[in-house]
Amino acid sequence: MEPTGNIESPRGKSERFVRQLTEHQNRLYGYVYSLLGDHARASDVVQETNLVLWRKIDEFDPEKPFVPWAFATARFQVLAHLRDQNRDRVLLDAELAESLSGQVSDQASQIDSVRQALRGCMQRLSEEHQQMLHSRYSTGKPIAEMATISGRSVSSIKVSLMRIRRQLSECIENRLATEADK
Amino acid sequence: MSKILDELDALLLDWECGELNDAGIERVREILRTDEAAQAHYVQQQMLIAAMGLEADSGLQNPLPIEEKQSEPTRSFSSDLTRSRRPHRRAGYWVAVAASVAFAVMSARLVYWEFFGETRTGSMAAVGRDSGEAVESTSQGVALLTRLVDVQWDDQPAMEVGEAISPGRFALASGFAQVEFFCGATVIIEGPAELEVVSPMMAKVRSGRLRAQVPPAARGFSLTVDDMTVVDLGTEFGLSVSDDGADVQVFDGEVELQSPAAPIRRLTAGEAIKRTDSGEFEQSTIQPERFLDSSSMASRAEGQRQQNFERWKAWSQSFRGDPRVIAYYAFDEPSDWRRRLPSTKDPSTTLDSSNTPNQHDRELDGAIVGARQVKGRWPEKGGLEFKHPADRVRMQIPGEYSSLTFSCWVKIDSLDRWYNSLFLTDNYNQGEPHWQILDTGQLFFSVRVSSEDGGPEHREVLSPSFWDPSLSGKWIHLATTYDVPNQQVVHYLNGSEIHRESIPDHQLVPVTRFGPSTLCNWSSPLRPDAHFAIRNLNGSIDEFAILSEALDAEQIQEIYEYGKP
Repeated sequence: MEPTGNIESPRGKSERFVRQLTEHQNRLYGYVYSLLGDHARASDVVQETNLVLWRKIDEFDPEKPFVPWAFATARFQVLAHLRDQNRDRVLLDAELAESLSGQVSDQASQIDSVRQALRGCMQRLSEEHQQMLHSRYSTGKPIAEMATISGRSVSSIKVSLMRIRRQLSECIENRLATEADK
Repeated sequence: MSKILDELDALLLDWECGELNDAGIERVREILRTDEAAQAHYVQQQMLIAAMGLEADSGLQNPLPIEEKQSEPTRSFSSDLTRSRRPHRRAGYWVAVAASVAFAVMSARLVYWEFFGETRTGSMAAVGRDSGEAVESTSQGVALLTRLVDVQWDDQPAMEVGEAISPGRFALASGFAQVEFFCGATVIIEGPAELEVVSPMMAKVRSGRLRAQVPPAARGFSLTVDDMTVVDLGTEFGLSVSDDGADVQVFDGEVELQSPAAPIRRLTAGEAIKRTDSGEFEQSTIQPERFLDSSSMASRAEGQRQQNFERWKAWSQSFRGDPRVIAYYAFDEPSDWRRRLPSTKDPSTTLDSSNTPNQHDRELDGAIVGARQVKGRWPEKGGLEFKHPADRVRMQIPGEYSSLTFSCWVKIDSLDRWYNSLFLTDNYNQGEPHWQILDTGQLFFSVRVSSEDGGPEHREVLSPSFWDPSLSGKWIHLATTYDVPNQQVVHYLNGSEIHRESIPDHQLVPVTRFGPSTLCNWSSPLRPDAHFAIRNLNGSIDEFAILSEALDAEQIQEIYEYGKP
């Protein structure tokens, strides 16, 4: 018997799946990064998570929200990564990661708003501070190198970076709060 | 802020730099275990860094590079080289991985499913990993801005036609913008409007009037308003969002309305529905004339383009009479030039030795070798395309000068050569300038200090890299000023300063000259360093000028504003 109209074709399903997966990559990255605090490892774990999700495509239900499902999978991947004894040092232990995971998912779901707020907040920084952030976070320049170039000490660069970050996160928080009021 | 949070921030920064020892890690954990405020702060800080990583990768907030140090000697070339290549390692890596996995999943899955009924995951992992290694330059846009008419931006940086739109806020205070999403949907937005562009298939509409044209290939494109989603099933529809509700009108084809509270509705051509701010649906009537369609958009944009061209023409007419012009080529006659590039400098401004106007302006005409005549920034004007190593325009520019300004409109396809010429004198003797672009995308200017070997080394003034593949095929304006009294060289891109550098006394050349010179190539292949003598530009040029004075930032900006297509 021919499949009836309300059973979606495998092709349609995988297209929807890929669309969702692509759309939520940023959120997944934010989630995993926050629990690992390391870009290279976060990339690996997101990649593993993508593959696991894809293997579980049978469980994928287009009618259900994608993000909680993806986060739950990512959570297992992160925990497995942290528990792996052969790893180099990790920042959080599995227990802490588990207890933070709820807060992290809340924040990671709105990472696009964070990015949007970040863009606005970046503009408010002085050019010098923008440049520092750019050196550190876009080009990945080591702090020691930044210190040599600017003729400042390593510790003074660190203090500046911490201040700028603090300033940025306060600005972002304010923006997100006003956004929510609208 | 509490002391604990300060301590946590310092520890996290050390961690991020790979400098945190075991005791430090233990301390982070201890703080997080015992302090709830610290937990929230931790999550917030990490999300900020993750967001910065994503932003860096999207290339969005790349502030104009400030010169890092001016004291670098002429041999700073290689260090500049490495500095200007933007490493895409960390964040760039995962985007490439994610994209390739998604793509591999998509394509392989479809193919396997259809032909084999089942698929193995092992090979997929390999595909994902391998292609992830290649650090390919990525463009994080999800849509392209294709037309603008009278646009005023609303609290966001101005954008130009041809620019990619990345996910995020897109807001017009007034005017019309045409946006082509990468999925193939074209949306015309009338300001005031505020959207959040989410993906190649989707945008959220906060306010404004939009008309979407969705060809079959882009089916599934959706616009959301609050919790209502308008999914396009291959059609043309209008959406108007204001404080008192959302109005959906279908001009052709069919759309689907999804909202959590109500069953899915389908609207077909000729139907219109309004959702009030209380969430109720009302029938309404379609008014296609309220939504600007793409052909009217095209004719409006065309009108504006025409206007810009006329403005440039008027400006160019007055510019050619500027007494400071040494040489000027406006490329304004689209007709057959008989392999000559006519000089457009007003001859009456040139005074010869007896102080009478020089009538022999034709002397400045360039000889076109190889380069193909093409359309310029506007189809009404010409341009020249340089593709082959032999393509060039030869010119002969007499006289001696001091300060200089170089200005040109150029469309670069790619930077293939080590040195990509804009304007080079043949021999590079004392006082002769060279103006070119390095393969790293840095604008390069130098004047030969001494003709003798072993004399003082010339000063290479290199801008930071301005080039990225998104500029490929776009008309851009480049300018460089050489200011003798102030001992400075300044580089400009599209009317804005990108680099400024002081020239020390021993490298300053007060008298400049040209003689036989070449546009977009170099004619001196007999030199011993001929191994990099192939310097032809891969691209087109459609306006070029040299002036006998260093223009200031405002004047450069003016040239750019009048010349913008």
